[in-house]
Amino acid sequence: MIQKFLRIISIAGHELYEIMHDHGVLTFILFLPLAYPLVYGAIYHTEVMTDVPTAVVDDSKSSIARDFAHRLDATQGARVVQLCTDMNQAEELMRQMKVYAIVHIPESFERDIKRERQTRIGLYINMASSLYYKGVALATNMTVLDMNKDISINYLGAGTKQQNKVARQPISYYYTPLYNTQSGFAAFIMPPVLMLILQQTLLLGIGMSMGRARETYRRKMHTLYQLYQRPVEIIIGKSIPYFALYLIMAVYMFTFITWFFGLPSLGNYLTYLVVIVPYLLACIFMGVVLSCLVYRREDCIMIFVSLSVPMLFVSGVIWPASHEPAFWRYVSYCLPSTFGMHAYVRIQSMGAGFADVYPEFRALWIQTAVYFFIAYLLYRWRLSLIKKKLITLFEGDYENERLLI
Amino acid sequence: MTIRNVLTRIRLIAHREMHMFSRRPMFLFSMLIVPVTSIFLFTTVMGDGLPVNLPAGLVDEDNTVISRSLVRTLDAMAETDLVARYPSFHEARQAMQRGEICAIYHIPKGTTSKALSQRQPSISFYTNETYFLPSAMLMKEMYLSSELISISVNRSTMTARGNTLGRAMAATQPIVLETHPLGNPWINYAILLCNVILPGVLILCILISTSYTIGMEWKMETHLDLYRMGNHNPAVILMGKLLPQTLLYMLIFLFMDVYLYKILYYPCHCAFINMVLIGWLTVFAAQGMAIFVFAVFPGMMRFSMSVCSLIGVVSMSISGYSFPTLAMDRYLQYVVNIFPLRHYYLIYVNQALNGYSIVYVWANVAALTIFMLLPVLVLRRYNKIFTDYSYRP
Repeated sequence: MIQKFLRIISIAGHELYEIMHDHGVLTFILFLPLAYPLVYGAIYHTEVMTDVPTAVVDDSKSSIARDFAHRLDATQGARVVQLCTDMNQAEELMRQMKVYAIVHIPESFERDIKRERQTRIGLYINMASSLYYKGVALATNMTVLDMNKDISINYLGAGTKQQNKVARQPISYYYTPLYNTQSGFAAFIMPPVLMLILQQTLLLGIGMSMGRARETYRRKMHTLYQLYQRPVEIIIGKSIPYFALYLIMAVYMFTFITWFFGLPSLGNYLTYLVVIVPYLLACIFMGVVLSCLVYRREDCIMIFVSLSVPMLFVSGVIWPASHEPAFWRYVSYCLPSTFGMHAYVRIQSMGAGFADVYPEFRALWIQTAVYFFIAYLLYRWRLSLIKKKLITLFEGDYENERLLI
Repeated sequence: MTIRNVLTRIRLIAHREMHMFSRRPMFLFSMLIVPVTSIFLFTTVMGDGLPVNLPAGLVDEDNTVISRSLVRTLDAMAETDLVARYPSFHEARQAMQRGEICAIYHIPKGTTSKALSQRQPSISFYTNETYFLPSAMLMKEMYLSSELISISVNRSTMTARGNTLGRAMAATQPIVLETHPLGNPWINYAILLCNVILPGVLILCILISTSYTIGMEWKMETHLDLYRMGNHNPAVILMGKLLPQTLLYMLIFLFMDVYLYKILYYPCHCAFINMVLIGWLTVFAAQGMAIFVFAVFPGMMRFSMSVCSLIGVVSMSISGYSFPTLAMDRYLQYVVNIFPLRHYYLIYVNQALNGYSIVYVWANVAALTIFMLLPVLVLRRYNKIFTDYSYRP
């Protein structure tokens, strides 16, 4: 037992030595997880798209229309950058990407309102990004509703202030965005991406160190034959340095990055640690399995980098998992990141307790077991190949010895 | 060298390159399987275009005719599916934490009686904003139905006072907003995202595989053979070396355009050939960039691959198709110009999405052309790299 333990420790020590002497691996497992969240945060930290540049084409030239333009300008979503004389002028601005939306107020606007007829306003939005649409459509809708109520008062108003208030809005309503209270983009995308960064950098690091081992020791996957004889010990020994380092990285994401970019942080430390352990283990063992595909150090970049974006998409964080085809959903179940991201978002952004993330927790342990088993089989197979080679070598020697005798 | 000689050398080097591919299945994986699978993955994952029937929870403490009619209105909307009722808000919130529902609609006790006695009750709704897309859909519909209930109350009041329906409509909704999302009237998210993410994945693959295949020569210490094969002319060498990849990626871009615009019928308001040509220009631009990066970090295969990966991956976030560049920090609005995907995106919006004249995006076309021509700057340097530099891990 103690022998076993000592062997594992010395394998871990040897792995650590290898890692420390490979700048490539160090970049991936030390520099990248520390720095990439900062790059990502720098891009998204402004959180919301406000004041989408909008042109207003006012054909009615009336005071109500001007009032409308002012109210629209005052909203968070839109900013009126130009009052145009006709549609052509506004379209030209749209083509030059100086405005992303056009509000067209018809010539009959004021007349219709005064004559107690419905009137129509046209809103044209450039669909280059969904956030232009979201910002302008919401702002314009709110402005229209607000104006509608002011106009309705003339018909419905019964006199007193209170009665007018009730007539404006017989049943009032409140909207509360939960967990990400300003509907920020960083607060939405950063938490899952942090987990994806952990997984991807682990895959890259383990892959590259395997590539290095393969290059140095040719077709073997391990070095010191005396030490590297039992698959279970090799896998555990290999994982220890990564696990220890990534536990620190996981805490760095949970604390520093969250604090630095002001991301939602309702998370319970203990719940997080309980869930991050199987997540890291599943990632590491998956890394050990996939690293068998890596024959040269640089191969790992080729294989793993381009998979990051598809992995983010199939997880169901961006596009609801319930609405993606079953095939891709099952593919996503093979990836630790799918469960890791959902669990992290729930714990950290939504303050979920352990019971709430139990399904993810269980799935991560199952993945850990499965990937460990596959890694075990792969290593056993490799070792038996090497043993065969050595035996043939020795048998040859025996024959020579016999000849000598 | 005669032209014939040059062509022969290019052919020979290209042949040598194909031989290299055939020995390493990994090339097949990252140059063919990843791009083509991504094309199918992104288009099928978002195959619905717009998710319908998103799960929402209801807390109806009022349980009257009016509250039930409100619930029916909400449930009848396309994107909201009231999957569960909860006796209290607390339990609904717990269900949200377990990820079962994306939004909660709460009608408190006494809503109807207050509404009937003109005491202005208030209802409330909540969305889980950690999942951006479903919550945006649900929020929109919950706003709408909450607004509709007030409008219907006012309209009933008006008709009860003896007004005609027309007058009642004009009174309750004098201004009607007609929204026209240009080029994508269905607000189809697959169209919004796939058109840019897919070229982004392709650009990433091109950047990485170009720097990999160039760096491999130094790693295997075959760069001097190659140098002799190309008659000491880097232009010939690079052309020959990248020719098979270039043709393959041009084919994949063509396939993507055919698949998106001819099979899935994503809007393409410009000539189809324009999108193909822009795609091909993007292939050359990405390759030019990778060649340039390797010249900056000569012999450092891993480093230049990492830089290329960084350019490729960051461009997916910074290009502005998901989170507009306009909303980012000021300095990023200049930085973004070094990413080929940004220019592709703006040209795509101008061409396929909106069908405007290409004159409006001349600067972006020029930028891609400049990326394509970057290798010209470093050709002389490549001579030095071939002779003086060796592989550095």
